Amino acid sequence: MTAIKWNDQQPIFRQLKEKVVELIIDGEVSEGEAVPSVRQVAADYQINPLTVSKAYQELVDESILEKRRGLGMFVRESARGKLLESEKSHFLEIEWPKIIQKIERLGLSMQSLLTDKPTQVEEQ
Amino acid sequence: MTTLIEAKGLSKSYGSHQALKSADFSVKRGRIVGLVGPNGAGKTTILKAILGLTSYEGDLKVLGLDPARQRHQIMQKVSFIADVAVLPRWMKVSEALEFVTEVHPNFDLNKAKHFLSKTNIPMQARVKELSKGMVAQLHLALVMSIEAELLVLDEPTLGLDILYRKEFYNQLLADFFDEGRSILVTTHQIEEIENLLTDLIFIRDGEIVLDATMEDVSEKYIEVMVSKDDAEKAEALNPVMQRDVFGRKVYLFEGVSREELEPLGELHSPSVADLFVAKMKEGK
Repeated sequence: MTAIKWNDQQPIFRQLKEKVVELIIDGEVSEGEAVPSVRQVAADYQINPLTVSKAYQELVDESILEKRRGLGMFVRESARGKLLESEKSHFLEIEWPKIIQKIERLGLSMQSLLTDKPTQVEEQ
Repeated sequence: MTTLIEAKGLSKSYGSHQALKSADFSVKRGRIVGLVGPNGAGKTTILKAILGLTSYEGDLKVLGLDPARQRHQIMQKVSFIADVAVLPRWMKVSEALEFVTEVHPNFDLNKAKHFLSKTNIPMQARVKELSKGMVAQLHLALVMSIEAELLVLDEPTLGLDILYRKEFYNQLLADFFDEGRSILVTTHQIEEIENLLTDLIFIRDGEIVLDATMEDVSEKYIEVMVSKDDAEKAEALNPVMQRDVFGRKVYLFEGVSREELEPLGELHSPSVADLFVAKMKEGK
């Protein structure tokens, strides 16, 4: 994991949790793979181990990670699909309506936005 | 035993000066506790009392024992690094290891050698030939190799550069700390370790003015940046401190609910340093 700059608007355990979710969605940690130990993450980021445990525990409760006795924490087989689903619905229900509002506020048309793509964005 | 240190009405006077005024606090197992206060507030007196290095009044139990009478037993389970950490300058690193092996029943020589092998400290070097950062590393290697339940650190990184400071805490977390042990640390570089702490104790003029888990702190203390129009509303909620930033006011609230504050602006957790300043100014 790369360095994280913590913000002061959310508890660190939540920011760490989001970071782990990001890593799984981006495929940097694959399903079935182990995530770094609590001790390792605590030492790397100089945060207390309880914070790390709390972030991991919530991901266990959400069936994203699983604890294997004596081996540590692993990404569950179904984790990535599950996270993608919830990220998608979060986008559609919360972010997208805000974007549409902004588009309307700025007086842009959906059509021109779709046809006149900014040059720096690569075609998928 | 889940409580490693329990102090009730802990007091200490030097002549007519009361260094500690009936302090109550406790340190539970598996915690990293920051003891923070300005110079002369009583931090070192507390640490000395815990380590059985000074007399005191009131009730103090360390690992269930009485530091004034049972220092010998306590010191088998408690280690300590002082801000004035000194090792004899003439001593070789290898001799320091031999010495601690001789005097400390819970010292693991192999562990110490392992820790030192990860540093650039040569076994045959004398202490006087080591840099300040290396002396701190040596100290830490010695202390982490003792099977201690409580580690007391008094300004452990004073005078070290940022690389050594980071490395110091990194090692503590990677190789020493676990749920069976506790660390009690005093430092002025509070912003460097605030995310590392599980508990926070503030001391001012010999009195404990804050003793809470970091979780409680982040629930209880909230900072809000408020535009001028809402300043009156904010002030009606009795902020404990205010400061001006870019023509707006930042208020710090204690024990006011998020629901009440949210309409006023974006909520932030204060840094421990800001909270410290607020607590030290309170009522003055």
